[in-house]
Amino acid sequence: MDNKNLVTMVAAGLLLFTAIMPVQGAERGVSDTEIKIGQWGPQTGPAALWGAVARGSGCYFDMINAEGGIHGRKITYFLRDDAYQPPKTKAIAKELVEDKKVFAFASGVGTATGMAVKKYLHKNRVPWVGPASGSTYWAYPPTKYLFAVYPLYCDEAAILINYAVEKMGKKRIAFFYQNDDYGKEGLYGAELALEKYGMKLVAAVSAEPLDTDLSSHCVKLKDANPDCVLMWVLPKHGAIILGTAAKMGLKPQWMASSTLSDTPIMYKISKGLFKDVMVTSFGEVPESRHLLMKKYKEAHDKFAPKDRWGIFFYAGFLFAEPMVEALKRCGRDLTADNFVKAMETIKDFQGIGPKITYGPNERQGSRSFFIAKCLEGGELARISDWMTSDIDLQGVIKRR
Amino acid sequence: MFLQLLISGLSFGSLYALIALAMVIIYKTSEVPNFSQGEMAMISTFVAYTLLGASGQSFTISFIGALIFAAILGVFLEFVFLRRAKDPNILSLILITLGFEMILYGFAGWKWGADQRDLPFPVSDFDIINLGPAVLSYLNIATLLITLILMFILFVFFKYSKVGIAMKATQQNAMAARINGIRTNRILSITWALSSLIGAVAGILLAPIATLDPNLMLDPLLKGFASAVLGGMTSLVGAALGGYILGIIENLFGGYVSIEFKSVVAFMIIVLVLCFKPSGLFARHYVRRV
Repeated sequence: MDNKNLVTMVAAGLLLFTAIMPVQGAERGVSDTEIKIGQWGPQTGPAALWGAVARGSGCYFDMINAEGGIHGRKITYFLRDDAYQPPKTKAIAKELVEDKKVFAFASGVGTATGMAVKKYLHKNRVPWVGPASGSTYWAYPPTKYLFAVYPLYCDEAAILINYAVEKMGKKRIAFFYQNDDYGKEGLYGAELALEKYGMKLVAAVSAEPLDTDLSSHCVKLKDANPDCVLMWVLPKHGAIILGTAAKMGLKPQWMASSTLSDTPIMYKISKGLFKDVMVTSFGEVPESRHLLMKKYKEAHDKFAPKDRWGIFFYAGFLFAEPMVEALKRCGRDLTADNFVKAMETIKDFQGIGPKITYGPNERQGSRSFFIAKCLEGGELARISDWMTSDIDLQGVIKRR
Repeated sequence: MFLQLLISGLSFGSLYALIALAMVIIYKTSEVPNFSQGEMAMISTFVAYTLLGASGQSFTISFIGALIFAAILGVFLEFVFLRRAKDPNILSLILITLGFEMILYGFAGWKWGADQRDLPFPVSDFDIINLGPAVLSYLNIATLLITLILMFILFVFFKYSKVGIAMKATQQNAMAARINGIRTNRILSITWALSSLIGAVAGILLAPIATLDPNLMLDPLLKGFASAVLGGMTSLVGAALGGYILGIIENLFGGYVSIEFKSVVAFMIIVLVLCFKPSGLFARHYVRRV
């Protein structure tokens, strides 16, 4: 190959390269009048109960658009159903990034679904705020464009354990969990928190997501004679285990993760057994008098009156709040990198969730929950302030 | 602990037995395992729920209404889809049942949504009888009794009733049955209706424990299928026994061996049975029909 040819080829290559490079100033998904934002969420399939999150975010963006948008730009929102299946999530991410050219992703239910597209989104410089899962995989190790809002499952468990041991004097604590990342991170958190008090779980029993018959699980729990049981399972399993336990005469203090905090439903499907169960909550309770909650409720009544006003619906607002805040802070000059810089300026920002703080290399917005209790009829009543977990995350990360 | 595991195993096993029976009835007439069985039962259970809730009917009426619906659904599937199949070999018929399963699953998600529901049932799972260290709820007893009664009725039906005998004849040799004046098409429809009806009973008995949502029957169907394979896909008694055995094995395994692997026991059983005794424990040896 002679030199002249090489030069021509390099020149041609460079030309081609500059031709396909996006023109400066024309950021993907941002125009003078709109910002395109996408989200996946299970509208069908086994996790469809949590699909309300994605509809909630849609309602939130409708509200913002009705208020005039952000710096003259309206949000165009793309909601896609992935049925909680990671391969579908991948297809959705590709479609929304490459076809619809979204600027960013808001929330998105599921750990496995999110993990399936995490690398892809990072590679394409797509900001992603508030995956609807409390996994440690989002922010540890931190990546540039991904910001976690949901406090961690292991922190939830630790906060419940602290409360059970210190405030309620519980001595024999058992753990009933789903045999996957969600359940296991809860389990690790609980074990780490108990270590502080020199205690151990008296039993740790796992269930598979598809199980229907939980009698042998319940027999195992009962055998350990616990005075407090933490549940890290599906809502359905929460109801089944409470029923089976009531039948078999196992009556501990039940506690559950925030994924079971939709108490009106839990109360109903457990035939009232959910009364007095304590849950952690990452956001205000449905009946809250918080000013923002009132505003959001109005938006719900206006834009999505058919959806039930439950925790998972307004969680869609909660997970997207920091994103909207950063969009506001960004001003007119909106690029992915500017957006990240704006996100990093967020300190002690609070909407209807816990206080959120990011920084360079700090991508876990919060590690705080409060505890609430299910009352007669399924109403959720807050019984504590926001509490921050004190466990050493490295202990969880090492084991995952 | 042993007694409790045994009792729980029996009571869930009787649900598996019902589903196994429903599958076997169809399998015997057409050699097709009906994979939409579970969703048909789930939809029928939702019909009972809707009749109870929205229309405010009494439980008896809702229950009977759901059973009638189940029967019609069975006939509908057989008449509209399976009978129209251009190339009715076993594989394509299985695929049709799988397709129907997805349609019904999607329909339930669209119509009733994904929220868990509570199906009110007149017999409570919390009223219990103490049997030494173990407990048995009224609902468990009801489940056991209803299953036994249904099995008895089926037995009498196949042994003594004209339609039952015609069904058996169709199973054994459809051509000869037709020549002898049996309307085999109609018999097939009745088979599907009967099977769907039994499935619906299983669904309605299961929902008060497991809560009602479109995923109600995903796991029980697999277990019912495993029971049928275990007991013998061609034997009604075998399939029912298979259900009880599976229920008990599962619970004992979960209690004494490993709770993590409890849910794969059913699949291990399918594999083992197919390797060592493909006809199932209680059926005569499998002979390929020519």
